[in-house]
Amino acid sequence: MAFSRAAKFTLAALLIAFPWLSDSFTAYQLGLYLLYGMVAQGIALCWGRTGFLPLGQALFFGIGAYLSGTALKADLGWALLLPAFAVACLVPALLAGFIGALVFNRQTGSGPYFSLITLALSMLGFQLANSLSGITGGFNGMTAIPGLPGVDTYETLYFVIVGVLVVSTLVLAHVMRAPFGQLLIAIRENEERLQFFGFRTSMLKAAAFAISGGVAGLAGVLYAPHQGIVTPQAVGFVLSAELLIWTAVGGRFGLIGPVAGTVLIGFMAAGLRDSFRYWEVAVALVFILVVLKMPGGISGLFSAALSRFGGGREIRGAGIAPAMLAGKEHRDEPDLRFDTVGVSMGPVRILNGLSFSISRSGIHCIIGPNGAGKTSALNVLTGRLPLGDGEISWRGVSLGNTRPFIAAQNGIGRKFQVPSIFPELSVRQNIEIALWANRIGTVEMFSMRPYGWTTQMLGELETRFPFLQQGDKTAGSLSVGQRQMLDFSMTVLAEPDLVLLDEPCAGLSTDETRQMIEAIAAIAGETKATFIIIEHDMQVVERLSDHVLVMHQGALLANGTMSEIRANADVARVYSGGSK
Amino acid sequence: MKRRDFIKSSLSVAIAGALSGKAISSAFAAGPIKVGILIPLSGPAGLFGPSSQNCAQMAVDEINASGGILGRQIEPVFADVGGPPADATQAALKLWKGEKAEAFIGMHDSAVRGALTNLFKGQVPYIYTPVYEGGECAAGTYVIGETPDQQLAPVIPWLAKEKGAAKWYLIGNDYNWPRDTNAAAKGYIEASGGEVVGEEYLPFTADNFDSNLAKIKDTGANAVLITLVGGASVGFNRAFASFGLADSAIRLGTLIEENTLAGIGAENSKGLYSSAGYFASIDTPAAKAFAEAYAAKFGADAAALNSLGESCYEGVLLLSALAGKAQSLSASDIDAIAEGTTYEGPRGSATMSNRHVAKDIYLAEADGTAFKVVQTFANVDPGNNCG
Amino acid sequence: MDLVVTYGLNFAYSTATLGLIVLGLAVVFGLLGVMNMAHGEFVMLGAYSALMVQQAGLPFVLAIPLAVVVCGALGWLMEWSVIRHLYRRPFDTFLATWGIAILMRKGVEVTFGREYQSVDQSLPGTVSLLGIDYPAYRLVLMAVIVTMFAALFVWYQRSNTGARIKAMVQNPDLAAAVGINTARLSRATFVTGVAIAGLAGVLLAPLVRVEPYMGLDYLLSSFFILVVGGLGTLEGLVTGSTIIGGADVVISAIFDKTAGYLGVLAISILFLWLRPDGIFSRR
Repeated sequence: MAFSRAAKFTLAALLIAFPWLSDSFTAYQLGLYLLYGMVAQGIALCWGRTGFLPLGQALFFGIGAYLSGTALKADLGWALLLPAFAVACLVPALLAGFIGALVFNRQTGSGPYFSLITLALSMLGFQLANSLSGITGGFNGMTAIPGLPGVDTYETLYFVIVGVLVVSTLVLAHVMRAPFGQLLIAIRENEERLQFFGFRTSMLKAAAFAISGGVAGLAGVLYAPHQGIVTPQAVGFVLSAELLIWTAVGGRFGLIGPVAGTVLIGFMAAGLRDSFRYWEVAVALVFILVVLKMPGGISGLFSAALSRFGGGREIRGAGIAPAMLAGKEHRDEPDLRFDTVGVSMGPVRILNGLSFSISRSGIHCIIGPNGAGKTSALNVLTGRLPLGDGEISWRGVSLGNTRPFIAAQNGIGRKFQVPSIFPELSVRQNIEIALWANRIGTVEMFSMRPYGWTTQMLGELETRFPFLQQGDKTAGSLSVGQRQMLDFSMTVLAEPDLVLLDEPCAGLSTDETRQMIEAIAAIAGETKATFIIIEHDMQVVERLSDHVLVMHQGALLANGTMSEIRANADVARVYSGGSK
Repeated sequence: MKRRDFIKSSLSVAIAGALSGKAISSAFAAGPIKVGILIPLSGPAGLFGPSSQNCAQMAVDEINASGGILGRQIEPVFADVGGPPADATQAALKLWKGEKAEAFIGMHDSAVRGALTNLFKGQVPYIYTPVYEGGECAAGTYVIGETPDQQLAPVIPWLAKEKGAAKWYLIGNDYNWPRDTNAAAKGYIEASGGEVVGEEYLPFTADNFDSNLAKIKDTGANAVLITLVGGASVGFNRAFASFGLADSAIRLGTLIEENTLAGIGAENSKGLYSSAGYFASIDTPAAKAFAEAYAAKFGADAAALNSLGESCYEGVLLLSALAGKAQSLSASDIDAIAEGTTYEGPRGSATMSNRHVAKDIYLAEADGTAFKVVQTFANVDPGNNCG
Repeated sequence: MDLVVTYGLNFAYSTATLGLIVLGLAVVFGLLGVMNMAHGEFVMLGAYSALMVQQAGLPFVLAIPLAVVVCGALGWLMEWSVIRHLYRRPFDTFLATWGIAILMRKGVEVTFGREYQSVDQSLPGTVSLLGIDYPAYRLVLMAVIVTMFAALFVWYQRSNTGARIKAMVQNPDLAAAVGINTARLSRATFVTGVAIAGLAGVLLAPLVRVEPYMGLDYLLSSFFILVVGGLGTLEGLVTGSTIIGGADVVISAIFDKTAGYLGVLAISILFLWLRPDGIFSRR
């Protein structure tokens, strides 16, 4: 993490001592910005960690505040107040999760549309808060909200806020350190690759958004007694925008940065605005500078690039018991069928009645000239291209118009021609994610135990590719060949039944090619999985496989052993360039 | 920028006053009294800010020149409360807890007042000066603005009789002042034999009134009661006239003062009436003297005098009278003696009764960008507010 | 009947002004792909140009060159200092332009104050049209907008520059390879877009509230229109304006103004969610 443990304790101690260092009213005012800081931490979880930008975070903050205000006004007493507060956190969390699930299930990636939707929702919430005056008090706001029972708003509430902030920070820090947090970085780095490991990334993103919504709601719960009034501005766009700026300037990759940014800019602005007219102009300039030159914000300046992205790797490791996972021993026979599959993109027909079936384990190779539709065949099988007509099934399960994570959950693993890894994560972390594929459960995502997982195959791969043992090296700094090997290792570590490899030796030196071929052959032999490999290099094909499928113009041209293919007149004509 | 200049100038006035006269001993003993003056400098009501600030400063300077309150000089601390109530609460809280202001004078919307009475809870004297919807009885709160009983009860029947106002359309901003004012207005309209043909509330930021104007036209309304605030009122009145509706319906505003009228413009002000306890043009000795002093102090280009700005002047006078009578600034001491407290202001003599004051009400018709008083209703009771 | 004509004209007015507001963003976002979050602030600067001209006692028409010069110069500066470094980083463009928007808002706030101001109509009075009285300025404004759109459409279809812009939009690398100075063309396009936004601000100033935060409304409605109509075509722009403006007018007439606003937001959210590429997309 960006800050050492000692620094964190010092910060917490400073916060607790603040009323004595300053005065209790200033501490009361600071309390408001600590609450905003909590919301900013949630934004950092979504934006810095996962890579999607929520623009309307005040919506969840305000809902929490209105619910908490309603509960406080009902004068319930602590016994009923605590469950009411829990509801006030849960409602915004569930709402955020619901919105996230709806939007992310339709739109992969982290484009601006999600951001604009959250922005519009926050405006919608603002308008509703204004209109539904029976519930919210309308423009006048929900007024006369009493303080927390037994807590003096101007004297002791501050300590409640600091306590809740520390606890929620620790909880968020655990969420970020746990496998869930590492998967969120993986989403930011390479969402599609994660889907090919069987992770339903839309739900992971929705979960992250739900957590951020819950934290915002929690801050709102304390905002209501702190202010004694909740107005529609608490759900509005202006607050959302300010929260975002504070997060960006403070630093969006950690948890301390957002709070620091909120306190430095928001709290200081409240004091400086009167004496320095150009304060807000200056803040805007700093914000522009941060966007252009320092994505890590203020806290990014304090920490090395590695810890900024890695997020707590060095703290982990020690104290987690290694657990040897059993490999998949008994595999059923494969049963893959392509039945007159057709795929079009616009006016272009990419696959044109492709039919074949594979019912024997081992290594199968697909060859064919460029544009024959080899990669497209794998794409349609794994849900990357929509199926036009025909039928695809794997062990009786229809996979037409499937989605990558469903294909992966059905035991289909895939490696792309260009190595697809998580560049900002370390080699070790890349491997961990592969080990978790199709194995990790929801509860385990929040436990540290999966960091201890290892398999027999991992040991073997580490012997074959020694660089895998340099676990701390950033994956992005590996050579092209090493990245190919890492990608291959990750694909097979997930132990799929059907392994699809797209030119695994592309860009490799002769020596590396030999290593790779040996590895493929050995793994295929041991696991009894079924391999389908797209390959141009006939020598490679010959050494790996005795079953070859030849594709041409979106359909199967020939199918048989290598010697049968060699003897096939159609294949010879295509490869000599005669037919066009 | 202006706020700082004012604080600076008020400080120098206070220091000069302290050094020159008898106030030395008490000023050093207790220091100046900080009085929080809450006025809108932003948003739709920002239009009223400059004149309010001027008037408050003028009252403070005059009181300080004659020895201050309880022998202590007044130090006004201004805050912008033109934003939403939650922001205004924070601004007031900063003056109260941070700057240790001992009394407050507020010229702002009712939503902010609702938030502030809940914030102060009667622990600090709070004088609310502008027109409002009536009914405020919180401890420690004193109201000198016009209520619907004063602004509308005599005026609506008069307009019905003299101008034939029978079919009323009510339009206001969406918060409690317009809604409560209109609720009261409906009673007066029915009593005068008229009917309400439409009622609509808009957000402060609204600047497209097309659908409202179409409805006004469609319903055949011949009178429009406007409870829009500042900038929103300007926009509506301009659009109203630009659609040619000024020929078919009169307009009555309870918050249209001289600066709003200037924004509306002479070409859009035909058939526009305003009712209030003060206009810059009223012709009484006290009002004339006040207007002359204002012009002498701030020059001819200063923000135009109006009922809202002038009410800040009255607010400071009332605070001085209350503190003088109670010989204390504590909220409970003042609350004990408030009933019956009297002061002399530009509107004439005013006496606290049930936290409100009775006053003369003027109905003025716009004549270009000036108001011409067409009818005076003498000593109108504020109604039963704290019953 | 009168009512129908009134609503009809209001609908036409609403659509035309929305089209005018969105045009500048359509150029910048639709052609260059720059999500200019400061778009509304250029509209605001245009409105303040009109205010300055009025305060100086000069004729209203002079606000047009003033706004074009002010917005053009600021746009040039913005493109040179920030945008050109970010053409392939859309997310950062989004944030940086937002920072610039805040800068412009706060700058205007410091200079002119935060209160609502208004600009006088240079063309008061009404014109009788189809049996009803309608404000003269609005009718002139609608005529100006339609003429502007027609002229722009013809220019873009026929002129050499239009053809070069189209080439650049479709394939910037290829366009550069065939000798088009894409850096200069991008800058000119950007400056044109924000100058149009400033012009829109001038023309609308007499009809709207003028204050430092006014741009926000225009920015959002512009984005919503572009999302609904789809990027890059004039038809999409007109369709988007019609749907958003029409929904507002119709819902406001049936219920009230607030319902109209909520309706527009709801339509925008549905489009952002289900059809982010616009109503004509086949997704």
